[in-house]
Amino acid sequence: MVPWFFAINESELDEGDKKPLLMEGNKILLLRQEGGFYAISNKCPHMECPLSKGDMEGYVIKCPCHDWRFDIRSGEFLDAKEITVPAYETKVDDGKVYVNLER
Amino acid sequence: MKKVVMYTLSTCPWCMRAKTFFREKNILFEYIDYDKADEATRKSILEDCMSHGEKMSFPFVKIGEDVVVGYDPKKYSSLLDK
Amino acid sequence: MDTNKRMEQFRTMFQRVIDPLGYKFSPDEEIVDFLLEQEVMLEKEKGSPFCPCQGLTGEREHDMKLVCPCIPFHREHYDAMRRCWCGLYVHKDVDDPDELVQISKKEFEASRNKG
Repeated sequence: MVPWFFAINESELDEGDKKPLLMEGNKILLLRQEGGFYAISNKCPHMECPLSKGDMEGYVIKCPCHDWRFDIRSGEFLDAKEITVPAYETKVDDGKVYVNLER
Repeated sequence: MKKVVMYTLSTCPWCMRAKTFFREKNILFEYIDYDKADEATRKSILEDCMSHGEKMSFPFVKIGEDVVVGYDPKKYSSLLDK
Repeated sequence: MDTNKRMEQFRTMFQRVIDPLGYKFSPDEEIVDFLLEQEVMLEKEKGSPFCPCQGLTGEREHDMKLVCPCIPFHREHYDAMRRCWCGLYVHKDVDDPDELVQISKKEFEASRNKG
């Protein structure tokens, strides 16, 4: 299986924005920050709240339910690095954004 | 007899055990359930806990002038005997 | 939602959070059941499964650090006790939770400053 899946066209997501996607049955949150694209699971590892409804500050997203904060680059929970939200590789090819759903 | 006053939560099993400890020893005590108290009382409990350098971790038990935070029957006994 | 069903969901979700932190549910099933039931009630009443043994102030920044499992926000203190404040969770190597005592914030800070 080829793990790279097409997500969106590069032009569909503005700098600093985020977009929840359903990719191969996975709830994915695609984010654009400082020009880069980042993909994490859209389910908070605490109580599965949708991170897409949370606020972003730089590379940090805050879960809307209980304010747990994650680094979108690594998926690490800032208050305990042992806990992570799954983070996926991304690549841009010819204006199209792809996500590697294999971790 | 030392006066025993405790701050508790209605949801906290250690608070229930603390109450049982004193009841079984036939020691009269007063208690306030923080979660059931009115706002002014809650504020005064918060201030009292903070003034002892503590957070609002329950049970918060005052035996005479001493304070025990948590369920600790050995400490309760030794302070009662002191 | 049915209380028992929600308690089971909490067990599943919280197990995933506490495991990488080195904690497990207390072997004291009675306490675990009681505490989880309180958390379901707290969630119904206040919107989140808050710690049943610590006081809320109504200030979001303070209270969110008391949503179960609150271990990440009180890690050093709980590691020193080898349990969380309410005793729902204990360190993985604890067989007898009754041998653990609660250490207050002030006592913990005093021992840390000495140590």
